[in-house]
Formats: sequence, C-alpha cells, structure tokens
Amino acid sequence: MAANFDTLTAAQIAAGIAAGDFTAREVTQASLDAIAAREDAVQAFLQVSPELALATADRIDTDRAAGKPLPPLAGVPLAIKDNMNLVGTRTTCASRMLGNYESVYTATCVQRMLDAGCVPVGKANMDEFAFGSSTESSAFHPTNNPWDTDRIPGGSSGGSAAAVAAGEVPLALGSDTGGSIRQPAALCGVVGLKPTYGAVSRYGVVAFGSSLDQVGPFGRTVEDVALAMNALVGAGRDPYDGTSQDCAVDFCEHLNDSIEGRRVGIIPAFMEAEGLTPEVRAAVEGAAKQLEAQGAQLVEVDLPHLDAAIAAYYVIGPAEAFSNLARFDGIRYGYQEPDCPNLDTQSSLSRAHGFGAEAKRRQLLGAYLLSSGVYDKYYYAAQKARTLITADYAAAYEKCDVILMPSSPRTAWKHGEISDPTQMYLSDLYTISINIAGNGGVSVPLGLGAESHLPVAALVGPAFKDRTLLMFARALERGFADAATGAPALTVAPDFAGKGGELA
Amino acid sequence: MKELSEVLKDWEAVIGLEIHTELTALDTKMFCNCKLSHDDEPNANVCPVCLGLPGALPVPNKRAIESIVKAGLATNCQIQKRSMFYRKHYFYPDMAKNFQTTQGPVAFCMHGRLDLEVTGRGAAERPDCAFGEAESLSLASASANAEGLSTAMAQQMREGGESAGALAAMSGYDTANLALPERHEDGSYTVPIRILRIHMEEDAAKMVHVGGEEGRIAAASESLIDYNRCGTPLIELVTEPDLRTPEEARLFMEKLRRIFLTLGISDCSMEHGSMRCDGNVSLRRRGETRLGTKTELKNLNSFKALHDGLAYEICRQAEVLEEGGIIYQETRHWEPGRKRTVVMRVKETADDYRLFPDPDLAPFDLSDEFIEHCRAEIPELPDAKRDRYQEDFGIKRADAEQIAGDPETAAFFEESAAGLSGKPAQAVANLIVNELAAYLKGVEGGIADCGIAPSQVASLAKLLAEDAISSNQAHEVFALMAKSGEDPEKIVDERGMRQVSDAGALQPIVDEVLGRCVDQAQQYRDGNQKVLGFLVGQCMKASRGQGNPKLFNELLRKSLE
Repeated sequence: MAANFDTLTAAQIAAGIAAGDFTAREVTQASLDAIAAREDAVQAFLQVSPELALATADRIDTDRAAGKPLPPLAGVPLAIKDNMNLVGTRTTCASRMLGNYESVYTATCVQRMLDAGCVPVGKANMDEFAFGSSTESSAFHPTNNPWDTDRIPGGSSGGSAAAVAAGEVPLALGSDTGGSIRQPAALCGVVGLKPTYGAVSRYGVVAFGSSLDQVGPFGRTVEDVALAMNALVGAGRDPYDGTSQDCAVDFCEHLNDSIEGRRVGIIPAFMEAEGLTPEVRAAVEGAAKQLEAQGAQLVEVDLPHLDAAIAAYYVIGPAEAFSNLARFDGIRYGYQEPDCPNLDTQSSLSRAHGFGAEAKRRQLLGAYLLSSGVYDKYYYAAQKARTLITADYAAAYEKCDVILMPSSPRTAWKHGEISDPTQMYLSDLYTISINIAGNGGVSVPLGLGAESHLPVAALVGPAFKDRTLLMFARALERGFADAATGAPALTVAPDFAGKGGELA
Repeated sequence: MKELSEVLKDWEAVIGLEIHTELTALDTKMFCNCKLSHDDEPNANVCPVCLGLPGALPVPNKRAIESIVKAGLATNCQIQKRSMFYRKHYFYPDMAKNFQTTQGPVAFCMHGRLDLEVTGRGAAERPDCAFGEAESLSLASASANAEGLSTAMAQQMREGGESAGALAAMSGYDTANLALPERHEDGSYTVPIRILRIHMEEDAAKMVHVGGEEGRIAAASESLIDYNRCGTPLIELVTEPDLRTPEEARLFMEKLRRIFLTLGISDCSMEHGSMRCDGNVSLRRRGETRLGTKTELKNLNSFKALHDGLAYEICRQAEVLEEGGIIYQETRHWEPGRKRTVVMRVKETADDYRLFPDPDLAPFDLSDEFIEHCRAEIPELPDAKRDRYQEDFGIKRADAEQIAGDPETAAFFEESAAGLSGKPAQAVANLIVNELAAYLKGVEGGIADCGIAPSQVASLAKLLAEDAISSNQAHEVFALMAKSGEDPEKIVDERGMRQVSDAGALQPIVDEVLGRCVDQAQQYRDGNQKVLGFLVGQCMKASRGQGNPKLFNELLRKSLE
C-alpha cells in the first residue's frame, strides 16, 4: 500500500516505525523527497541536512533491530528554526551576519527533540534575527505560503510553519517573541503553540528579546504539538537557563478531556478592533459557538491596559534586541568586513553590512530607548505597563479558564503588500500581549476564510496552564474536524499534498 | 612642589576608593562552569557562555554570591535581599558580549563601614583643624557637588521598580551619617570610613597588544585576546569619599585585604592583580563647602603605590590650584618609577553604558537562611582576633594586629603560643613578626611548608623569656633550627650558647674589665652614664657573648658605686 508521507501525523509515524510498518530511513527519505519536490515553490528551508538526518534515522533503525526501546518520537522528521544551534549545521538567523556561522553546541530544545527520537532534516527560514511578521526580512530568500505561494507565510517562524503546511515535515520548532509562532501557524493553517515563558529552555536559541522569547512546536494536529511539548519539557527545567522552570510533564494526559462546564473568556474590545477582517471575526465567533456547543460557558472579560501592549512591546523588544545583538561585531565569528584599517572601522562596517534594514532599525531604536535621559520615559514606563497588563490577565483568569481571540486580524497577505513597518507591527495585535504577560498561547486552524479562502485561526490565551490550553485547542480541532474522517479542518495545503514523498 | 604635610595644612583632600577583588578562591567562573585559572594556556578555560556565543545564557555561581554576602557581612554592610544584575554596554573585544554583567543601583551589599586606627607618623598627616563642626558643615553641603565621586553608576541605572527620584536620593553623598574622627591623647585617632556598596560583576578578558609602544593598543600590530579571565567573579567595593589622607587610604586597603584573606574569598594579590584599587581624589581649601573636581588614579597596585600615588596627586593638584590653574576631570596613571601621575584619558562627556536589568538573570530574593548560612561560615575577623590576642596572650596591640591580619600567620601564632601568656607569648610574637617574617621573604612557599614548626618557635621563645639566650643569640638559633629542623634547646646546649645569668660566675669578669678600663670607670664615676654601654660591651666580649647583658649592667653599677 503506497501512501504519501504527508498524510501521516508525527504520532502515526512514530507508531508505524515502532510497529515495523516502515523504517526511520524510509520516513526520512520520504521527507527529504517531499522537500526536494516542493521546496522550489515553498522555500521553507535555509539548509537541508540529509546526511545528519539519515545518520540519525539509521541509528533509530539499528536500535529497533537490536530490540532497544524507542523514544516517543523516534523517526519523526523535524524542521528547526534557524536561530537554534545544532552541531553539524549552520545557525544563520537568516542574516548575512551569521551566514557562515557553524553551530559549536546544540540548543537544549533541539537536543531534547533529538533525545525524543526526532530526525533533524533542516534549518527553517525566518525573518532576520526573528525581526518581522512575514519572513520577508530573511537575508537569503523569502518563504511562500503553501496555500497561495504569492503570499507570505507569516513570521518570524515562517519557514517552520510553511514546512509543516506543505507536508515537508510533520513537526517543526519555532520561537515566539511577539507572535512569531502563532501568527505564521494561523496564516499557514497549522497548529502552533507558544508555551508559558520559562516552560521551554532558551539555551542555545539566539536571543531576540530575552524576557519575551519562548520556543514552541508546530504540527498539523494538537496531539502532535502535545507530543512535542512532552519532549521539550519532560526532562524538567534546564540548568543552563536561569529563567526556565519546571512545569507539567504529560501534555497528552488531559488532551481529550471534555470542556463541559469550563469558562471561555471573550474580550469585546478585541472583537471590535480596527483591522479585524469580517471573515476572521466570523470564524472566531463560530469557534466560540462551537466551544459553547461542547458545554463551555462564554464570559466577557476586560483587559483595561491592553492598549499599551504594542507600545510596551516595541520598547522592551528593541531594547533587549539592541543588547543581545551587540555581540555581533565580526571579531570572533560571523561576517567580518575585509581590509579595515582598525578595529572600530571593522566593527562598524561589519555591523553596517552584516545586518539588514529591520535588524538595524530595531537595534537603533533599542540603543535610543536605553540611552541616558530617555530610559525613564520609555523603558521604565514600558515595564510599568507590563506589570499592569500581567495583572490584567491574572484578573481575567479569575473569571475564565482560557480566552478566545483571533490569532491574526487578517489572513495571509501578498509579498510586498505591507511595506510600512508600523503597519507590519499591527499584525501582531492579538499575540503580543501574551508575550508581555509571559502567558502561553496556541493557534488552531478553523478552516478557510469565507472571502479569502485562506486559513483563519483562533488563539486561546492561557493562565500559566499550557495543558489546559491544549485541551481547549483539541476541543476546537474536534469541533471543526471532518465529520466523516475525523481529520482536522485543514491538513497539508492542497497544491502540495501528495507531491513527492511516497512512502512504500 | 610642596611637601604633603605642607599641602594638607591649607587643603583638605577628599579621597574615595574603588577596589576590585577577584574571587580567586572559587573553582568556577561567575556565570558558567569553566575552571577559574589564569595560569593555563590562553583560551583553555572557555565555553559558549563566557565566549558570548549566540544563544548562550548565564547562570549565576551560588558560591560567588555566598562570597560577596560574607564580604558584606564582614564590612558591616546591609545585605540586600532583593537585587539584580544589569547589563553595562560598551564595544570592546575584551567583553565577548559587548556588555558586562554587573549590578544596578541596589548591590548585594550596601552601606557598610570599617573603622581605621591611625597611629604614629601617619596620624600626623591629618591635621586637627579639619576635625569637628567645620568639617561636618562643609560635608553637609557637599552632596550636591559630589557627582562622580561614588555616584557615576547611579546616573544611568534604574531599578525596575524604583522611581528615578528615590534613586537620586540614594546616590548622593550621604553626609547625615558621616562620623567624625576621634583623636586620642597620643596623637593617634580612630575614624570610621563608610562603604557605599559592594557589588558583583564579571571580569573582562585579557588583551595583549603586540608591537607598538608599552603594550598599548595604539600602534600595535596585533592584539591577542585571552578569554580565560573573561567571566571571573569580581566584587567591587566603593567607599564613600570619607578618606582624607593617603595614609588612611593605605590603611583602609590593608584592613580590607586582611578581612578578605581571613574570609578566604580571594588570594588578594595586588602584585598579580587579583586585588586592584583605583583612587578618586579632589582638593578643597580648608573650610570650603563645595567639593573640587576630582581625578581618578590608576595603577595603584601596591600599598606603597596607593599611598605615594595619592600623595603625589594631592601635591600636584595643590600646585595647579595655587597657581590659579584648573583641575580637569580625567583618569591619571601612576608611574612608580618616575614618581608622578600622567593623563590616561580625559572624560569630556559621561559614557552612556545603557544600563538596564539583565533579562536573562532573574532578580535575587535572598532568604534569611542563606544569609545566616553565610554568616555562620565567617571565621573570627582580624579586629576581633587582634583584641583577643591582646587580651588572652598579653601581647602588644601592633604585633597582635599584624599577626591577626594573616590567617596562616595567625594559626601559626596560636599553635606556637598555646598555653603561654605575658613574656613568653610576647617572645613568640616577636619571633613571628621579626625572625619568621624575614625568613619567609627568602624562601619559596608559605608558612605551612617553610620547614619551621610552631613547637620550635615556642621552645625558642621560652629560652628568650627565661633569659637563657639573648635576642642576638635567638637570631642565630633561628637560622640554625630552620636549616636543621632541630629543637632550639638542643642547638643551644650543643653549642654551649646558653646565656650565663649567675652573678657569681659573672662577677670575676666584671672585676677583670674594671681592672683594665680604669679611665672609663673614672668617667662613669664623674657622671658620664653613657660609658656604661662600653663597659657592658667589654664584659660581653670577655664572656664570649654568653653573659647576660642585663646582669652585667647591674653588677657594673654596683661595683662602680
């Protein structure tokens, strides 16, 4: 029975390999074939690592042949955002600055996925240093949305989302500073989780905004995302990340629990927000009805200081980015301007020519915001706003278990359609406040928009309980599943499904 | 240029110190598990964290925090349970991340104090006219002008939850609690010196500039970077500008070093740079209420350099000011060879370090248990030890101070003087302060492996206390016992060195000397007391050094009456 690799979930692949239905090498080769066939149109990857992938797959097959127990995600192909270190690959952050940078150690999150049996097939494209919402600021090439290749996949983890949506891999890792997992997941029609800050180690993930960054998984089903979370947090807090914390370990345990009697918060201001398209609003209202139909109770909640979230984000984010990116000076590694007469010139020109426009814009902004005399007015004020927004969320979660809101105010836009950076920043309207508060959030596909026929998604904001969050995500997925097959509302984008990646 | 003593009659010197101490006693660096050692091959002890590689994160070294809390407790600081690390940005290759992780307005240790006892000639450096109400008045109005003395950091640092106003209040020169010196009858005085803060930070890498002049980066053909030192835990102590003389500065530094050595947190080597001191100094006319412009002195890497550098700079500033010149706020380098300070760099504008709380390091919330655990591990400190030695062993305060200041010496003393007090204990102290200290200068290693046992010193001290040998003989015996490892009693007996203190045996020698030194005997009888020394010397010579000189003295007097 010939099947296409892209019809299988991560859970099914791991089960099939464990059962001997196919080998890890066969699955890996199918993933590499799918990438080879689809990548010209999607351009999700900056680097494909077939040797590393096949060697990993062979080890799994050898272990199985030797009768050793297999880890839970054994043989599942994984795409890794290119801001995560993995020995044997370059870690470029989609920047000329790190275009030649070979990873010298492996990030904890990546190592934990490898420990769970995942096969690293490549490094996914992104906005340069994760600055952006469209993956257009990658220094190397754009990524196309598999649902319409004239359109952007969202960002900054656009490569990771597109690789999953195009059926090149069942699982991918992304990072989310202001929506960089949830927004591309929404625009590409896949599930994307930004866990609570501190749940997943940041060690080895090139920092953008240290107090906002969080690593999380993309998958085509909520269960796959839950399995990936088990891998990421199962070993407990990472001693190499002082901000990481212990959290619940089994994300599958309550995944299929009923949500009957639970409360879902709705923020009226969010549903009336400027820029929210009617089709997205209609879909989210449909999601609310679906959750109500499953026995949940809808309650209105208010976040009085929400207006300050984007402003606070564009103070804290650039300030931390300025500091985190200061190390890239071309002295020890990375892009080094040739033929400079002295150190100052070399550092200045290496930075001038190594960084792209958005990376420079954010660093300049951060340098200004932290400077003497300006600090009090902006950074200090932003931290106060942050405290208030965090308290708002805490108060809201007294009244509800989760909050339902759009993931993105609109569906995917065309390449080059938004050129004003401030307009681009507004596309993160719904996701940013979650990072400010340090909570988790998940984007779940609800189907195609009535007008655009592109994926729309809802995001349920959590109360430091990522397991509960996934339980609601699963309820939405169940609610919008195909009645006959039980398949999620959206699977692999139709233009790509079944093209390359035959699995014997 | 005028002498310091002349200058200080007209001018008041206002001195503050910034003292960096590497926590060399720790095994690992501040934020990673790399080995702490500067002796290894360059760049042997490095990892993604201390090299600042993309994606690496810092994790604080708990033992370093214990060390700084102990340092704070031992210097009477208030331990701040809540404090955090900040990032201080500057672009230079010795900082792998292009920022240094340091602390903000609130350091682990705030508002401490050390009392200095200033005696002897050093006490004369501080004229009496500066004491009392006039000084406290002038200081009270100084805070508005104290910028840069100890407040440079506070200008830009803001704690997340603190308003700017509250911090500005914290950062001024606190004159309300300024304590004045207490002068004693013998001219010595005691003065409390306030400590503004002790904060934790990481050291930078070491750079070696090849080619060019004097290892400076200018004109160097190559610059090499050794990251072994990068990330070394460093504590920086900042005093209030309460010091008034170079002697006080030197005494403060010595006292602090003795405390840190006793705590066992650092080897405190000024020579090797594990303890470094910068001095800030400004002058104002006696009675003036505003502070003058300060200069910052570097390369003060010995106690002598600290004293002499400050003394020179005070005299230089006085000369400039007396000639109607202006002092520029600048950093100056002490050249010990040429005995002068030269300009390193002029600070025209304040550097903007863009300090902000480090988001990778969670704020600290030290528990009472943690602080008490640190307190319990603090050994007896030098001042307490000095007082105990004076009390229990009855030795001189100055000797007690010197012995108590060095943990190894103190342990050696306690073992040697066990069960002794009074004369024999003082003899032990004398041997340690003079003979042992001199001996150690000539050998490798410390007290523990120098080959001399406390029992030998105890035995030698008893011989001295019993007048069995003279101090000259003791010097000789010390050298012999160091060489052979033998007991001093045995050495003395074998060599027949035992001092003769029997009047019956010495009287014939006295008679013989007086018999041939008739003129000198007559001079003594005519009232020339000094000639007695000559006669004692003759007796000693006649007894081949074995007669008790004190007894000869007595016998001579009696015979001449």
